[in-house]
Amino acid sequence: MQITKLKPLFYTIIVLLALVGSVMYFASVFSGILLILAAAGLYFVYYGLTEGKGASKSLALSFLKSLLIPVIGVVSALLIGGIIMGITGYNPVTAYKALFYGGLVKNWSVSVLNAAPLIFTGLSVAFAFKAGLFNIGAEGQYYVGAVVATFLGLHFNMPPLLSIPIIFLVAGLLAASYNYIPALLKVKTGAHEVITTMMFAQIARYLSSIFIRGMGGGSDGPHPYVTDPILKSNWLLKMKTIFPSANYRVHIGILIAIGMALFVQYILTRTKFGFEIRAVGQNKDAARGQGIKVGRNIFIALLFAGFLAGFSGVNQVLGLDHKLYENLNAGYGWDGISVALLASNNPIGVIFTSLLWGILAAGGQYMSRTVQTPNSIVEIIKGIILFLIVAKYIYIHIGHKFKNKKKEEREAVK
Amino acid sequence: MSGIASILNTDLLVATIRLSTPITLAAIGATICERSGIVNIAMEGIMIIGAFFAAVAALFTGNPWIGLLAGVVAGGIFSLIHAVATITFHLDHVVSGAVMNILSFGIVRYLMVMIFGHPGTTDAIPVGLKAYQFAIPGLSKIPVLGPVFFNQTPIVYMSFVLVVLTLIFLKKTKTGLHLRAAGEHPLALETIGVSVYKMRYLGVFVSGLLSGLAGAYLSIENSVSFTEGMANGRGFIALAAMISGGWTAIGSFVAALFFGFADAFQVRMQVFKVLNIPSEIFIIFPYVATVLAVAGLVKKSRPPKADGVDFMIEKEGA
Repeated sequence: MQITKLKPLFYTIIVLLALVGSVMYFASVFSGILLILAAAGLYFVYYGLTEGKGASKSLALSFLKSLLIPVIGVVSALLIGGIIMGITGYNPVTAYKALFYGGLVKNWSVSVLNAAPLIFTGLSVAFAFKAGLFNIGAEGQYYVGAVVATFLGLHFNMPPLLSIPIIFLVAGLLAASYNYIPALLKVKTGAHEVITTMMFAQIARYLSSIFIRGMGGGSDGPHPYVTDPILKSNWLLKMKTIFPSANYRVHIGILIAIGMALFVQYILTRTKFGFEIRAVGQNKDAARGQGIKVGRNIFIALLFAGFLAGFSGVNQVLGLDHKLYENLNAGYGWDGISVALLASNNPIGVIFTSLLWGILAAGGQYMSRTVQTPNSIVEIIKGIILFLIVAKYIYIHIGHKFKNKKKEEREAVK
Repeated sequence: MSGIASILNTDLLVATIRLSTPITLAAIGATICERSGIVNIAMEGIMIIGAFFAAVAALFTGNPWIGLLAGVVAGGIFSLIHAVATITFHLDHVVSGAVMNILSFGIVRYLMVMIFGHPGTTDAIPVGLKAYQFAIPGLSKIPVLGPVFFNQTPIVYMSFVLVVLTLIFLKKTKTGLHLRAAGEHPLALETIGVSVYKMRYLGVFVSGLLSGLAGAYLSIENSVSFTEGMANGRGFIALAAMISGGWTAIGSFVAALFFGFADAFQVRMQVFKVLNIPSEIFIIFPYVATVLAVAGLVKKSRPPKADGVDFMIEKEGA
């Protein structure tokens, strides 16, 4: 009984260990992983001591269940990818060794850098999905965020503590307003948001070039055009200033992204607005029956999705590139769809799937450099993972049928 | 004014046809696909696959016609992934389409590195289909229209024929009627004993063939090699053309011509440096037009009723 009194102490230690460990790890100080593992170990020991066997068992089971399909999907995709490599004359074992060594250990910093923008666009897509909307144009909102961030970053001469939040907010709001017309059309005429946001994404892609040329790109400058670098005071803080051994490129964007994921999770699960969004997403008619304003919620959900995707662009400009390249065609919108689907639109899950995508990309580059295996195998593996994971609707369908049958049998016995 | 005159001439119209051909082909394919009830945003990816395999086959056999066949077949086979995913496995159509696009980039780049040792551009094929350009006797002598429509390369002629065939197929044949029914009222079609699944498979497959042909046009007729990123959003423009054209073959064709014209105009303006307008203003024309079309400015722009709606047969005893 004594041990339960120490509950706050235990939790504080666990949270602190995990937090410091994660920050270090994300700052590419590799030993941070040890602290995370220690925190996890402590948690399970404490949990096993205090809670009854039944409770921890059911918790572990539900956790495992939610992980089952993604893990099966990823593992089988890796297997299929290995087979493809084997058939086409590459050694899958050395390729995978290089892939994971590069993604998890050697170039972990690159994995983190890759993951941060994906978390934002992934959250954007996931949030829209929760409202039953498909924000396929996150790429466009990304461009808007990036262009606005560059513009403000060039001209905003203020203390960083003041200017950076303002840049995030303004760029986010403008990116949100970029979804204004698609949202309006969706509500007023029923025009499908897949079509409108996709078209708007293409429009943003081309129009951003005009702005980039206007911000120092110059029409006779180097090709592809690039803007002048933004003011140094507007750069996001580098992890190096906290942890001297961190990679010099890693910035605090990943922490902002994780914070945003927690915030979105909070909105969705703990607020009235989030409840309404989910109700609309699940069944419009039922939501309307409960007195929820469906149109209004759809409208706001699309704008908020734009807001989140805009952050992705800000993150890249203020944190990593410090300038904007023309025709970036970064693909964060498409990858955002992938990571959201993979996480079944769970905001916390998006963090992990983005990291997975980041690891695959960074590891793929390392692999192609060291063992000369084309890193495009990573793209193929990503595609296979997606097909295997989204096919989970089949597993769910089968599961339901199985349960129903059991229920019927049980009732028949009664 | 001499600047403007150097743009507005027959060459502009010839370029219009050239630029609109791949869009036309993919757009009428999309029309057939969406009329059967399957949303297809994977044209971009299918086009890339078609373009790549056409170039590779033409390169290794030395015969562009085999390349053309390879491109069409590759497009058709690749599109079957979309069909299996959406029809048999009831996957969301947009999700599947998005994944198809992602997958196509990976497949092509992987094969590029495997076959040619580097990403980017393939080696040039010995003979392109452009060499088979021919004028139709008589018709090509008509002023303006003659050189524009009747002195063209093979796939351009094919695209004209295919527009007409698609029109006849959808409007006049029984299969076409069934296919449209699958997109409007699948249950009714199933009731009269026609398989909705089969019709939808047909729709997706045909659109794959046509997008593959569009890809082949890019790599072995309009050019003599395959370059990554050569589709450059044309699959999405085709989608735009199909929507602006109100989900009809003839509408898609007209919209594709318009978009091709805007593109040709933009390219020539850049070349001759007449007006100091950023070319992007013209490039975004198709996308703006599409938004306007779905906003209700084009009255008839309405998708088939059951477009994107999953159809599942509840088997007895299951």
